[in-house]
Amino acid sequence: MKRFVWRWLAVNSLLMLALAAPGETRPQYGGTLRVTMRAAPTSLDPAENAQSDSFARRNLTLLIFDTMVATDDSGRARGALAASWQASPTNQRWQFHLRRGVNFHDGTALTSEVAAASLRAGNPTWNVSVDGDSVVIERDIADPEMLGELALPRNAITKRNSEGNPSGTGPFHIVDWQPGKKLTLAAEESYWRGRPFLDGIEIEMGRSFRDQMTALELGRADWVEIAPEQAHRVSLDTRRLANSAPMELLALLFTRDVQTPEEKSLREALAWSVERGSIRSVLLQGAGQPAGGVLPSWMSGYGFIFSTNADLARARHAREQVRTIPTWTVGYDSGDAVARLLAERVALNGRDAGLVLQPTSASTADLRLVRIPLASADPWIALAGVASVAGAPVAKNDGGSVEDLYAAEQAMLATQRIIPLFHLPVTYAASASLNNWTPRPDGSWNLADAWLGNGKP
Amino acid sequence: MCQAVYNSAISIILKPVISALRGALPGLRHPYLLVALVGLAVTACATDWNTPEQHLARKIVAVTGPGAVALTVENRSSLGKRDFDIIQNGLRSTLDAVGLRFVKADQAAATVTISLSENPTSYVWVADIHQGAGESAVVMVSTARPEGSTAARDSVPLSLRKTPLWTQEDPILDVAVLEEGSSPTRIAVLDPEKVSLYHMQGGAWQQEQVLTIAHSRPWSRDLRGRLIPARDHLLDVYLPGVICSSASALPLILNCRQSDDPWPLIVGTLNGGSLSVFPSAGLANGASTVVPQMKAFFAPRRNFFTGALTPGVGKFTTVPKFYSAALLPRDKYTLWLFAAVDGQTHLVDGVSDQAAKLGWGSELTSVKTACGAGWQVLSSAAVRPEDDQSEDSVRAYEFPDRDPVAVSAAVDFAGPITALWTEARGDSAIAVARNRETGSYEAFRLAMACGQ
Repeated sequence: MKRFVWRWLAVNSLLMLALAAPGETRPQYGGTLRVTMRAAPTSLDPAENAQSDSFARRNLTLLIFDTMVATDDSGRARGALAASWQASPTNQRWQFHLRRGVNFHDGTALTSEVAAASLRAGNPTWNVSVDGDSVVIERDIADPEMLGELALPRNAITKRNSEGNPSGTGPFHIVDWQPGKKLTLAAEESYWRGRPFLDGIEIEMGRSFRDQMTALELGRADWVEIAPEQAHRVSLDTRRLANSAPMELLALLFTRDVQTPEEKSLREALAWSVERGSIRSVLLQGAGQPAGGVLPSWMSGYGFIFSTNADLARARHAREQVRTIPTWTVGYDSGDAVARLLAERVALNGRDAGLVLQPTSASTADLRLVRIPLASADPWIALAGVASVAGAPVAKNDGGSVEDLYAAEQAMLATQRIIPLFHLPVTYAASASLNNWTPRPDGSWNLADAWLGNGKP
Repeated sequence: MCQAVYNSAISIILKPVISALRGALPGLRHPYLLVALVGLAVTACATDWNTPEQHLARKIVAVTGPGAVALTVENRSSLGKRDFDIIQNGLRSTLDAVGLRFVKADQAAATVTISLSENPTSYVWVADIHQGAGESAVVMVSTARPEGSTAARDSVPLSLRKTPLWTQEDPILDVAVLEEGSSPTRIAVLDPEKVSLYHMQGGAWQQEQVLTIAHSRPWSRDLRGRLIPARDHLLDVYLPGVICSSASALPLILNCRQSDDPWPLIVGTLNGGSLSVFPSAGLANGASTVVPQMKAFFAPRRNFFTGALTPGVGKFTTVPKFYSAALLPRDKYTLWLFAAVDGQTHLVDGVSDQAAKLGWGSELTSVKTACGAGWQVLSSAAVRPEDDQSEDSVRAYEFPDRDPVAVSAAVDFAGPITALWTEARGDSAIAVARNRETGSYEAFRLAMACGQ
């Protein structure tokens, strides 16, 4: 009887083991990760503001550079180059104590002078000084969002050499840089957080979504971007797809403030006419979430309070307050495959309400269909970022509550500079050999912790 | 009233519960078995909802004034039904106390829709209030979200029992139980920068001392380390490229030095050149098992052993690079199992090296118990092998010959296993997992329970 039990157990165990997939769970060192991206940045300098913000650019920055402070998935501040900090009771003066023993990729030590100079260059309105091994930032007004600000990639600490080339303290250093085309990175052996598992990363830029997908399918790339609306078509095992939280705002942006009460009524009519539900189903193929507010609900906790339903009766009522209907041009990015379709659909919805809208790919337009990457998972910083892009008053957090945040968002929407349409995630796909690659909710990569299963340790 | 609990050591929560159970039920043999049930109550009491309920009620009544309202409460958050029901009842009571009466919509002066929502840091409760013709107002409150907690879940047959020891936000590399009666009373917790000593006092862990680890080079990623209690001093600490020993006299400090010396693969009491392994293994006759000493070199800037062994297994002084090892003493030899970095398990008996794809994870270790065949190998594995974000589980196996036989159900963890080491007493192991939900590290003692 006992022998029978052992045999039964052995047969079952072997059957179970035969069916088991490889179960290694400990990360492996080695290998070169091949990444493709649509963006084609021409500078790697975090503080260079001539280029538009994008998730790709932010992520490139954080491969090479570090920030003083980082945020975790819940948006809480964690020490990075700053080991600790203190704020004055009014949040006007912040003192950051630098971590010891951190070196730039050129071998020089991180000092408070270098960190202060880097922050000063990127934030001319800040009063940045040095106090021993700490950096002191003073503001004219209370700045409770200072930690979130310092966690932004654009505030990464940079040291520039005599030729103006930036050097960082990040997990990877630059081996080869062909602006706008290709970037080759190698693991920094003495990185203060521990050497990355990967030996290196090769990043090809300026590749269309279609090219990227082909590269992944042919085994020529390990990590690619996917257009959210294309995600459902990807003939991949869905376990190799990953989304960020909805971190991109798709919106209509008017290029000027409301000039007259009639214009106010027409903008209201347009806002009520857009059928977000059907646009999401048809054009976005179910991706993203209809947006009535600027901030996604996961970030604010109250986004659902803004209506996203079209109300043609209200739209027509608002439009009927105006005798002469102007023709508005709706600009879109001609390089964005879905943007033209979206602009045309918005024009069609507007026409149902009696408005006249003309889609155009020209650079000047009365309003534009834009994608705004939310700057941070911190709702106050994200709101301020959108306000900056929209030319609306910048909301400032005076240490306020969620109700203050709601009031600030309402105030921005009341300017009628912006009509939120959708919140979209950032979507990536990875090859089967890449592990621990899931992007964080804010869309940032964590490639220092990613590893290749077939890497050679 | 219920208190919010954040980042407390698991034992701090459990100890009073277990003590109370022991007091109330003197015949109770396994108080931890009841802890899972008690844990449900602890979880339910983990957050104080009373304050936000009162704040929201006051804000609502400030808009509506006392009177008849139609109230709807919706759950848009990750709160479970139990918490939702508690909050809904609490809100109704509180609103009732401030002068609102609940009626149907057609009889109401106002309709109030309360949504229980959340953002990454807070629960956000939003009240959307509509009065009269088109008058509407929105009021809201927020309250901090507690760190998530996961109840332990045990399974039966030859069962592997999981006992919480410690949890913290910083990575836990190893935990050593230094003193214990019926349960641990003094522990050491190794993290990347220090060893923290705690002792149990008044049913709660009190920090006794912190011993800083001096190291000049940055640690490798996926840092690993071992705490090994010593006979003539408190403990030794093994980290990649660094070895520390506690002083043998007070004050207790750690003396650390750069060293690539090999790490002991098995922990026990030195006994004339051999090792009395697992001296307190709970054997019926109290005997210990003697096996040859074995050490392995750890790659100083990586997360694996190089494969070089000293003195070696029979003719093998090197094996493939590996993450972890387990031993199974036989009558005339010792079978060693190595979890190689290529995902295979190597079975080395001194004469042959047999590689097998067992689908196991990278962590394995062995325990000597009074159960089953006497020796079990504990191995980690992904709960969902196809998902690289899978949680891990640990299961016990025996090796009647060269094929593993599962002898326990898998015990699940809330994330990947980051450490699995046999304890010095030999009949149990320390498992550390990173909780994917909370991000914190949780250390458990794993012990076999016979005949269940």
